Amino acid sequence: MDGRIVLKKKPDTLKAVLLMFWFICLVFLKSWAGQAEDKPLRYDLEVELLPEVRMIQARGTIVWSNLSQDYVPDIQLHLYWNAFKNELSTMAKEARRETMYKRYQVRKDDWGYLKITSLTTVDGYDLMPTAAFISPDEPPNPDDQTVLKVDLPEPLAPGQSIILKLQFQAKVPQNGIRVGCYKDGFFISQWFPKPGVYEEGKGWNCHQYHLNSEFFADFADFKVRITVPQNLVVGACGEEIERIDDPVTGKTTYTFEQQDIHDFAWTASPRFIKIERWFRAEDQVSPEEYQTIAELLELTPEEIKLPDVRMILLIEKQHQHQAERHFKALMAAIKYYGLWYGPYPYRTITMVDPPFRTGSGGMEYPTLFTAGTSVILDKKVLSPEQVIVHEFGHNYWYGLVANNEFEEAWLDEGINTYSTAKVLEAAYGPSCLPVRFNGLPLNWLLKTPAIYDWQLGRLISGPVAKLDPIVKESWKFYNSVSYSLNVYYRAATCLQTLERYLGEKSWAKIMRTYHMRYRFKHPTIEDFIQVVKEVSAKDLNWFFKEFFFKAKDFDYAIGAVETRIKPEKFLGIFDDLPTKHSPQTKTNQDETTEKAGEKIYQTSVTLRRYGQARLGPEVTIKLKVEFEDGSLEWREWDGQSRWVRFNFEKPVKMRQAVLDPEAIWLVDTNLSNNYYALKGSREKISGLTGDFLWLMQSLLLSVFNLL
Amino acid sequence: MSLGNYLEAGLNRALSRFKIALYLWLIISVVALIAITPIGSLVRSNLGHLTLSQDLSMPFELNIVEVLISNQNIFAPYTVFLIAIVLISMLLFIFLKGGLFGRMLNQDNRINISNFLADGSRYFWKFLLSLIIFLPFLFIFFLLFRLLAAPLEAWSDGAVTEWPVIISANLKLLLFVLLLAAFKLLLDLVRIIIVTESKKVWPAYCLAIKFLSRHFFSFWGLYLLLGLVVALICLGWLLVGQQISSNHLAGILISIILAQAFLMFRLLARQLFIGVEFSYYSKRKDKV
Ligand SMILES: [Zn+2]
Repeated sequence: MDGRIVLKKKPDTLKAVLLMFWFICLVFLKSWAGQAEDKPLRYDLEVELLPEVRMIQARGTIVWSNLSQDYVPDIQLHLYWNAFKNELSTMAKEARRETMYKRYQVRKDDWGYLKITSLTTVDGYDLMPTAAFISPDEPPNPDDQTVLKVDLPEPLAPGQSIILKLQFQAKVPQNGIRVGCYKDGFFISQWFPKPGVYEEGKGWNCHQYHLNSEFFADFADFKVRITVPQNLVVGACGEEIERIDDPVTGKTTYTFEQQDIHDFAWTASPRFIKIERWFRAEDQVSPEEYQTIAELLELTPEEIKLPDVRMILLIEKQHQHQAERHFKALMAAIKYYGLWYGPYPYRTITMVDPPFRTGSGGMEYPTLFTAGTSVILDKKVLSPEQVIVHEFGHNYWYGLVANNEFEEAWLDEGINTYSTAKVLEAAYGPSCLPVRFNGLPLNWLLKTPAIYDWQLGRLISGPVAKLDPIVKESWKFYNSVSYSLNVYYRAATCLQTLERYLGEKSWAKIMRTYHMRYRFKHPTIEDFIQVVKEVSAKDLNWFFKEFFFKAKDFDYAIGAVETRIKPEKFLGIFDDLPTKHSPQTKTNQDETTEKAGEKIYQTSVTLRRYGQARLGPEVTIKLKVEFEDGSLEWREWDGQSRWVRFNFEKPVKMRQAVLDPEAIWLVDTNLSNNYYALKGSREKISGLTGDFLWLMQSLLLSVFNLL
Repeated sequence: MSLGNYLEAGLNRALSRFKIALYLWLIISVVALIAITPIGSLVRSNLGHLTLSQDLSMPFELNIVEVLISNQNIFAPYTVFLIAIVLISMLLFIFLKGGLFGRMLNQDNRINISNFLADGSRYFWKFLLSLIIFLPFLFIFFLLFRLLAAPLEAWSDGAVTEWPVIISANLKLLLFVLLLAAFKLLLDLVRIIIVTESKKVWPAYCLAIKFLSRHFFSFWGLYLLLGLVVALICLGWLLVGQQISSNHLAGILISIILAQAFLMFRLLARQLFIGVEFSYYSKRKDKV
């Protein structure tokens, strides 16, 4: 359907000619525009891979619909591979600045690029003459070529769509991030010109390719025909609907289709083994499990029923023996994400063990993700399970709930890191940290403690709390380390804290409500906060202000504990002048259970607030004090001041004090100082000192032997 | 003389002089204690008030990491302190090596701290010089290693699976150890000659190289065989150590004792090496 006017009236000749002329002009001018579709985007692309020259040749159409009320004068397209074109791209410049951890290093002759060779409207109007590279983000970089702005012949009216016909060719960067090739193995992502997201009243949201940022795009329907040499096994987003072998050219063309996704990636390698399985909900979820989770969510088991999903695994031959581990992890992820947040809505999921040395592991695309493994694994270490659960989980947080990863990366990475830990805990329990040397697992030799993902996450994210807030444009973080620790782990720790603070039930409903409400949408943190407030019926603005919008650390501690015997007599002059002090007005923090002739111990516990962040209004942190006779005393502190002191008088000594004994405030950057036992365990400290000593002796002995 | 004879002679020599290992252990332990004091007191002051019975929100090991993370600012000065300790101990160790070789190769097996230290000072300068002269050999060692490792690297660079990468990395490690053993043999031999034949350093090197040019492969083979046995015992030791739980006092005590016994074993193994090398050298040197 298009927007041309249909005349029904029979006009007189002159009128008819004029009208005809006007009509032709209109048609001529506006024939590139059509009536908007119900989705902002539709792609129909054909691409051929030329492995020998590591090039792709492509052509096709992109239909963009203006679903806003604005007149849109231009189209802005991401040409991501130009980030790998030279040393002056924004990404390369940002990479050079990194000192702690090099994510990307330019390598001679490994360059890649994306070049549009032709871009016209459907009726042949050439758009290339007005095309220009822009760099919307600060600081401007005139050398960056990852965003192309193309002016339209005239502004596209609300409700109109434009069909872009294009041809492009691209060189696969050998050393790219999330994309790459090695010999004849290819992982191809961010490979086509992709329009940004048009935001009503604000214009295009189309950022450059940054080192510390992922992506943002609109939901679209894709149809992609991929032609490769016959020996390559191909996987892609969506469903394979056709395969045509051409015996003459020795090439095969695969057609993939998928609706309602916002990116499209594919891969090809001769070393893939393709294995298919079904996730059968009936076998994976018991009626009791449905019942339990339905009760938690206050839904009926019927409402949370999961559909079956076709699972496709493309695994390198060398890792074939690990297929079962891959499927087991994927099924756990489909099950728990589905039960907790909502059923997986697509028919297939493709899990890719990325081609060797393509630098594309551990990355998410809608209906397809890459994991990554090693040939020799350890049973006690959850690798590759951790990455499989995480990357599948992105179908929920990024794929379906499609927040802007440039601007608020925590909404996908933080929520998904939180969810990953929960799934791993439910499906596997704690696991050991890996110890590897020269590609060999060494956990059989050096024991590591069994821990949960979230325990490690809260530990490593503490040090960056004061460096950056969690909510910040991805490229504005202090460095890659601060970006990843804040956005992934600190955000996840904050969510863990919220869950414990609000309770399991309330939290489960919050997460499901947020997910289902914003499926196929682009929510922001404001939407998330709104859902938290609505479902929990609590105003948690302070929480987000302290932990998400500000770079503050949170550390409450037991600063000091003192115990002494109360003197039987006090020295000084005591006369019997009357006082107005009645026994009831004794400070309510003092506790006396005094019996005549008994020794009385005075115990004072001083709590400190070392961090800058504070608890919000009407929120307290609890202190539990246990005495030698087993009696317990509980106190609560609003945590506003820098310190507070609680005094106790008892006929027995204190045994131990624990701050936040219910372990709600996991966001506390130092939990070790939340415990204070009058008699600490000598054993642990002695064992530890013994270990340190042994390590140092061994080191010195090695030096001795070498000299 | 058969392999067994060399081993037996070396073992007898090492065991009859086990006091040397004790002295070395003591001195190394004192240095190690000094080196860990800052980190130990940090951990004690931060974690000394935890108890085993508490239901901590993390395993204890993570509490240690947490304390280290929140006291990151001590790392830079502590590293400087450690480097200083290692540098000073290097000089001390050359001195101790004098004591070790001196007492090991002495005719009578009367060993006390004073003659041990006397040997240390007697051979200090010669041993230091022997180490300095060894540096060019170390350079040759690295050159040779790079050369021999190059085909392995090329193999791994062109790999299409992980296997060549893993195999070549571990072969390189093996190559490194084998080569280093060969060069280390030279230094040991030089010192044996210095001590037993009262030679100056240069003549000792000449003599050692001459000896090795004749007997290198069997001498190297002996060294490697011995090394393999010691390495296997070490591995077994570590595996046994892993099985001991550190959740109660007895387990912790056993772990500590085992760890210290392991160090004693390593020191005795070092003595055994010297003993075996000496018996091999003294039997074969006349055949040069
Ligand atoms: Zn992620």
